[in-house]
Amino acid sequence: MENESFEPKIVAFVCNWCTYAGADLTGTSRIKYATNVRIIRFPCTGRIDYNLILKAFERGADGVIVSGCHPNDCHYTSGNFHARRRWIVFRGLLEYMGIDPRRIIFSWVSAAEGAKWADVVNRAVTEVRQLGPAKEFNEMRKSQAFEFRSV
Amino acid sequence: MNQLNQIAKELLTSQKVKLVIGYGEGTDGRVRPVFVRKSEDASQLIWDDRCRQNLAVYLNKTEIREIGFPIAIVSLPATVRSIVQLIAEHQFQVEDVIPIVQEGANVTTIENKERLEQYAAANPVVFPPFVVEEIENIRNKSVEERFEYWQEELSRCFKCYACRAACPLCYCERCITDVNTPQWVCVPPHAIGTFEWHMNRAMHLAGRCVECGSCTIACPVGIPIGLLTMEATRIAREELGYEPGIKCDVPAALATFRPDDKESFIL
Amino acid sequence: MSRIGVFVCHCGENIAATVDCEKVAKTCAKIPGVVYSVDYKYMCSDPGQNLIREAIKEKKLTGVVVAACSPRMHEPTFRRACAEAGLNPYLCEMANIREQCSWVHPKSKATTQKAIDIISTLVAKVKRNRALFPIQVPVTKTALVIGGGIAGIQAALDIANSGHKVVLVEREPSIGGHMAQLSETFPTLDCSQCILTPRMVEVAQHPNITLYSYSEVESLSGFIGNFTARIRKKAKSIDEKLCTGCGECMNACPIKKNPSEFNMGLGTRPAIYIPFPQAIPNKPVIDRERCTYFRTGKCRFCETKCPAQAIRFDQKDELIDIQVGAVVVATGFNVVGTSFFPEYGYGKYKDVITGLQFERLLSASGPTLGELKRPSDGSTPKKIAFIACAGSRDPAKGIEYCSKICCMYTAKHAMLYKHKVPDGDAYVFYMDIRAGGKGYDEFVRRAIEEDHVNYIRGRVSRIYERNGKLIVCGADTLLGAEPVEIEADMVVLATAGIANQGAEELAQSLHISYDHHQFFAEAHPKLRPVETNTAGIFLAGACQSPKDIPDSVSQASAAASKVSTLFSQKELTREPVVAVINRTAPPVYSTCVGCFMCQSACPFNAIEREEIRTRDGKLIKTVARVNPGLCQGCGTCVALCRSKSIDLQGFSNEQVYAEVTELFA
Repeated sequence: MENESFEPKIVAFVCNWCTYAGADLTGTSRIKYATNVRIIRFPCTGRIDYNLILKAFERGADGVIVSGCHPNDCHYTSGNFHARRRWIVFRGLLEYMGIDPRRIIFSWVSAAEGAKWADVVNRAVTEVRQLGPAKEFNEMRKSQAFEFRSV
Repeated sequence: MNQLNQIAKELLTSQKVKLVIGYGEGTDGRVRPVFVRKSEDASQLIWDDRCRQNLAVYLNKTEIREIGFPIAIVSLPATVRSIVQLIAEHQFQVEDVIPIVQEGANVTTIENKERLEQYAAANPVVFPPFVVEEIENIRNKSVEERFEYWQEELSRCFKCYACRAACPLCYCERCITDVNTPQWVCVPPHAIGTFEWHMNRAMHLAGRCVECGSCTIACPVGIPIGLLTMEATRIAREELGYEPGIKCDVPAALATFRPDDKESFIL
Repeated sequence: MSRIGVFVCHCGENIAATVDCEKVAKTCAKIPGVVYSVDYKYMCSDPGQNLIREAIKEKKLTGVVVAACSPRMHEPTFRRACAEAGLNPYLCEMANIREQCSWVHPKSKATTQKAIDIISTLVAKVKRNRALFPIQVPVTKTALVIGGGIAGIQAALDIANSGHKVVLVEREPSIGGHMAQLSETFPTLDCSQCILTPRMVEVAQHPNITLYSYSEVESLSGFIGNFTARIRKKAKSIDEKLCTGCGECMNACPIKKNPSEFNMGLGTRPAIYIPFPQAIPNKPVIDRERCTYFRTGKCRFCETKCPAQAIRFDQKDELIDIQVGAVVVATGFNVVGTSFFPEYGYGKYKDVITGLQFERLLSASGPTLGELKRPSDGSTPKKIAFIACAGSRDPAKGIEYCSKICCMYTAKHAMLYKHKVPDGDAYVFYMDIRAGGKGYDEFVRRAIEEDHVNYIRGRVSRIYERNGKLIVCGADTLLGAEPVEIEADMVVLATAGIANQGAEELAQSLHISYDHHQFFAEAHPKLRPVETNTAGIFLAGACQSPKDIPDSVSQASAAASKVSTLFSQKELTREPVVAVINRTAPPVYSTCVGCFMCQSACPFNAIEREEIRTRDGKLIKTVARVNPGLCQGCGTCVALCRSKSIDLQGFSNEQVYAEVTELFA
């Protein structure tokens, strides 16, 4: 499980108004963080379908970051509240079915928290590196007859 | 049951309803659903301990709706809860369905909203002991052990979707599995395909599953599929404070929020 | 077939220093669907944009990905460039390889690979972008202003002066609000009625303003640009066209001793009354709950005395429906009464009064005609204790906020008292002094230095009566919490400002948000202080939070300017990033099953019910429908939908799915 040269692949689903802007601020402030993350932009965390998190893992991600505006700060008022409820249920179900919930890192990062974003990424990379490659999904993929092709 | 047949006969003769859905004798000592349209056929209806299926699943079928509301339906407590939940989800109105229920030794009908909600609240879900045991069992496992358990159980799944067909709350005409742009749920019954299907079904039933057990009864390969949807509803109940099936006009659990929903895992 | 163009920007050295842009451009040229891939030093410059424009025309591009800075910087720039070249602007996306790549990673292969991954994700998205067009919504150019206090008056005048029609609805018989009750205003001590009345007259005479007084807004339906408001004109029992405002009816009325609302219960008024002499409209109303005729069927003296025969006992409430394009809510606030304070006598002591009641005593048109007299015995008070922060900033009383205006009006009250009773003593018990406005601190200093008001820093724990005097037990914390006891003739409590009566019901009928104190919620506390989350409904004045007159007037003008902006175009143009529910041919019509989870979740009320019927009117199914005029494009409904019947244009299911899966292809 501890693989020295293992570099986890992490996908980040972030909301446009807070975390994406926060990540921009990290860049403007030239704060450095790990290269393992690929950011995908959504208008709001409320838009993030849990199926996308599943797909990310199935296709090869080892960890997923989901991040948005702090409660009460959502640009659309309540998208993050709905997202939070969805995550509470989803995380509980994943744990119930045997997927380590530590592979998904949820955070609230505002547009002013450039440093926090770098922290979240670095923390996610460190934790997922320790957890190792997502073997649950590796195992599940083995039972397929073919490899996924890009559509 | 004489009381049952009597009530059904009256409802049909008086033309109060055009259809009574209930349980009847099937093959090999099993029970099957019957759809009684004529009052002479009311004698087909039976009600004993073998009757466990949740008949509310028929209320949302096109063919049944074409017969026309109101419809009377022989209801277990879980069926009543399903009906309340379906009303809350705007699938039909209170006056469209007349549940025929057991209250002690009597069989009566429920014909207004207050009685409906009362009955649902007064008859909460009661799990048989083997279910309680299994839930404890899984709760005591570690994450890796749970993974093994579910992979073992789901390996038998061959995507017959009987669980979906039996569930009264799975009424989408076009299920998420039918969508191919994009393909949310992989079609084949390999480990990923079944994992995605059952995750989605459990998420879709979070805060909606009334814990009737019909899905588990329906599964031809004996997967304890109800445990998944029940877990989703348990999370909705304990973490989100949401009880399905007892109020006719509350919005869905995942379409509302409390500003102070508690979570321990967000950085 | 997709023909995507990829344009990789060096951004001078900003990107090129850590990312190998040439390699990125070369690698991206190999992505299926990409027909043109170049790198350039400054894409946002004119030659850079030209590069894109030329490529669109020459290579017949169906989509463009500009890999450069953050879309939050330059998306509009590049979308405009594409539009100029004839490509729908929504077919252009930006890949952020600067803020989120080159600036946060060192120069390395991993960084270059990350840039390539980011671009390939956006290419996958753009392939599935659809041409989108701005949404046009028609606008009715009439505004509804709810509330006729200073904020409502200011908003109405501003909107009317810019050439649009205004309907002003006021609950009380007269406009003017609380400002009409004030004697003098801080920090200039000019007479409140003198500055307000000209405005009130302007409202009454303005050709663009229709004033409905003694009326309430019962319901509001519709959406921005297209609201329908139902107004209930309560029966005044007077024919307003005939009434001359002579006041004979008020003299004739035998039921004279009703507590006067305008005088905060300190004076009386007859059952048929004009609230105050400068009321606009200057016509009386009959209080049907106190009038003898309405209670017993006898009397009608006013009718016999009225020279214009304007009394109409059989008048009924009238319901009026109007079409408006925007609503300004300016319903004001209220103050907590003395009965809120058990420690200050539960409202039983006649000489413990609120700041607003004190204003009425000071006022020349008040119950004592401007002479300061104790409500209990009419004598002149020689010692007055003013208690600031009465109820405010007190979580134990449920009001944790500061009511903002009390420090200033307490200083004003103390000064005016000293001007009227120069040999009297004024004590102010305070926690802090909040005097942040222009000329405000100087005003408070004046009270202390010129008018010799005694300021004691400490709270008052108890007030009780002894021998006709009020014993005020406080402490002086600047002297180490030394107890202070004042034998006062009168106590004025600067009570907390609270939401006005009926605020919650009004907010619910208008579908605007409110907080747990029933103050109406602004869309963003810093950047959008006069808008609500409901498009087309704006806020002005103290209904949003307690504030003084300059701030109320500023907010009212701001709200009016928002309304004018809305009305300045023929149609309202909105960004097309909105949700859409699928529709197909019969017999399916739509895969939506009508569970309306989307409707419950939408914070903007943008989802409606649509009944699909046969030609004979038989109902086939009820499905959801998105109002493109209201949808803000958050996509919460899209993620919720179980049957995936709703999708978000610009961030569709296919697009986000392709973005995720492309990363690992």
